[in-house]
Amino acid sequence: MDFAFSPDQRLLRDSARAFLDQHVTPATLRPLWDDPRGESEATWKEMAQLGWLGLALPEAYGGSALGMVETAILLDELGRAAYPGPYLPTMLAAAALEAAGGEAQRTRWLPAIATGEARASLALLDADLDWRPEAAATRAEKTATGFALTGTKRFVPWAHVANVLLVPAQAPEGLTLFCVDPAASGVTLAPAQTMDPGTRWSSVTLARAPVAADAVLGAPGQAGPLLAALLRRGAVAAAAEMLGAARRCLDLAVGYAKVREQFGQPIGSFQAIRHKCAEMLLEVENSHAAVYYAAWALDARADDHEIAASIAKAYVGDAARKVCGEAIQVHGGIGFTWEYDLHIYFKRAKALEAQYGDGDYHRELIVRRVAA
Amino acid sequence: MDLNYSPEDRAFRAEVRRWLEANVPKDELTTLEARKAWHRRLYEAGYVGMLWPKAYGGWGATPMQQAIVQDEMARIGAPPPINGLGIGFIGPTIIVHGTDWQKQRYLKKMLTAEEIWCQLYSEPNAGSDLASLKTRAEDQGDHFLVNGQKIWTSSGPIADWGILLARSDPKVAKHKGIACFLLHMRQPGVEVRPLRQITGHALFSEVFMTNARAETRDLIGRLDQGWAIAQTTLGYERGANSLGRVTRYAIAFHQLVRAAKELRRGGRPLLEDPVVRAKLGRAWAELEVQRYAGLRVLSALNKGEPPGAASSITKLSYTEFEKRYYETALEILGPWGQLMASREEFEEVDTSSGEPGTWATAFLWARAGTIYSGSSEIQKNIIGERVLGLPKEVRADRLKA
Repeated sequence: MDFAFSPDQRLLRDSARAFLDQHVTPATLRPLWDDPRGESEATWKEMAQLGWLGLALPEAYGGSALGMVETAILLDELGRAAYPGPYLPTMLAAAALEAAGGEAQRTRWLPAIATGEARASLALLDADLDWRPEAAATRAEKTATGFALTGTKRFVPWAHVANVLLVPAQAPEGLTLFCVDPAASGVTLAPAQTMDPGTRWSSVTLARAPVAADAVLGAPGQAGPLLAALLRRGAVAAAAEMLGAARRCLDLAVGYAKVREQFGQPIGSFQAIRHKCAEMLLEVENSHAAVYYAAWALDARADDHEIAASIAKAYVGDAARKVCGEAIQVHGGIGFTWEYDLHIYFKRAKALEAQYGDGDYHRELIVRRVAA
Repeated sequence: MDLNYSPEDRAFRAEVRRWLEANVPKDELTTLEARKAWHRRLYEAGYVGMLWPKAYGGWGATPMQQAIVQDEMARIGAPPPINGLGIGFIGPTIIVHGTDWQKQRYLKKMLTAEEIWCQLYSEPNAGSDLASLKTRAEDQGDHFLVNGQKIWTSSGPIADWGILLARSDPKVAKHKGIACFLLHMRQPGVEVRPLRQITGHALFSEVFMTNARAETRDLIGRLDQGWAIAQTTLGYERGANSLGRVTRYAIAFHQLVRAAKELRRGGRPLLEDPVVRAKLGRAWAELEVQRYAGLRVLSALNKGEPPGAASSITKLSYTEFEKRYYETALEILGPWGQLMASREEFEEVDTSSGEPGTWATAFLWARAGTIYSGSSEIQKNIIGERVLGLPKEVRADRLKA
């Protein structure tokens, strides 16, 4: 039993932090807010060179064959930096391609993802925003050459920069996962303007969008378990990124409380502020335990890996919102300004809270498992 | 990072489970003698004093092994050992700061529960501000004369000995004039009056000392070292019960689920009510996070890393969780949760069983956790100052000192 990171894992965290502290700072990410792409091509390429994009991919496809713990360590740091870009959805789509893809699909996409040439995303939500995989309402009709997809996918992260979208739809055989080219005919993307300028969501409208027969990921009608597993992975990944955002907000709040003076003393000397900071640290520490327990459980296929993923997402969603919000409170007026950086992390945590199953969804999953 | 239990720990758990299944008493232990006898068997099996060095009668086990024993005892519903304060806090203090004579005289009888110990720290006007205590200890040459009052003394009515903080020098700064003694409780100058708690039980007490006698040989450390000694005691052994505690919460949770299936509201079982389901989901998530965090602390302790001020985070976390947890349980159970099983005043109730009649006691007991052993507010001060490095507050007593 060892809950501490290994020397290699610490090295990954430290090197990621060093890189991000230099290259992904509020000064570099603010200009991206007005950029239609919203991400830096140069950063993406550097992430590929650092081995981050292939971190969890098999070595045969140019990856490092590391696990969810390492992925979580990286996402934790990306969250701390409020990195804007398609890392999380690409990582998730790559996991799907690796788990269910045929050799042609793997060869087509995995090396390209590892080298930074391709980005990917998953369109998990339909119009009624129901996270249950079986609730997918998009339909896939059989055609002479394959399938035609019709439906509306909502809040698809980074779809506008993706080279491939993984789209669940109801085929005659049942729930099926398709690889869709976002530039194909019948596919229309509508980027949404959201609260967090570092999060990009699009509506993806499919109007009899043609998909070749070989674009089915796995066997037709068998996508349910794969999608449930992807949602769990996404939940832990989002929790790790929210944890990073919370860490940053705690650091900023504590740093500010040490130097900001009122009534002739640093405000951190007042119990009203100090106790708030202590509660924030408690939430960060518990979130750390929840994220890395779940990440390890996924890697180890532990008996409780399914519920651990839901617990991490439900717990850290609440905790990160609280920590980031209280950081604004500790700062007072300055924390509410556009110029100050706190809102960047506050908004990111909130955006992730709504992704890969919100707290209500995961709490229901928890009850189903524990109160059956 | 590897959260699997080692083969040795798994084998140890299996061994503990077998022993408990064969030895846990079938009937409730209703007398102090019966509880001492059970304690003695646990000790002889190697399940009490596990972290104490072998030289002092302990077993030199690992923190993980100790946590596994507590976990298995919780799982099977075994009665706990007694003298927890002695074995968890007072004995280790004697081991670190005591004389050879003190170690020979007190430690073994503490481990075997032949002598029961209590802690004489808090006073009516010295709670969170413990260093302002007023109980006096005056040097009479071969002994000290002790006068004053202590309060919130757990196990007071059954204690043979107490660890006492008393003011040895009223003229110096308050943290410096405090001495630490071992005080014999069975003497004419010591009077114990049971205090009833909000649960109706009387598990703690007031202790009045009127010209009580503390022997000079029972002074721990130097006369001005009492405060420092008490500080080293307070952080000791946190984490040992991290698994057992969560297992008890989990047993209660499954009882709560069972009740939510049986109780009906609006024509359907409570368990089908989405509001109840959301509350249960949140409670289980928080409960499991307590377990994950406990494993993290335990894995550090097992590697010999001192818990330090981080143990304040653990204490704050589980005690605040426990309040929310039983509040949620009573919200779900409604008036059923407020029924109380009638018990003897001095009897401890197993509040973790989740049996009908125990919820109310557990709900009330949860209020104690955030007060004893340093209140939540004190823990937050410690976390703020020693973990986050926030500036110390400006305090009136520090300005004077």
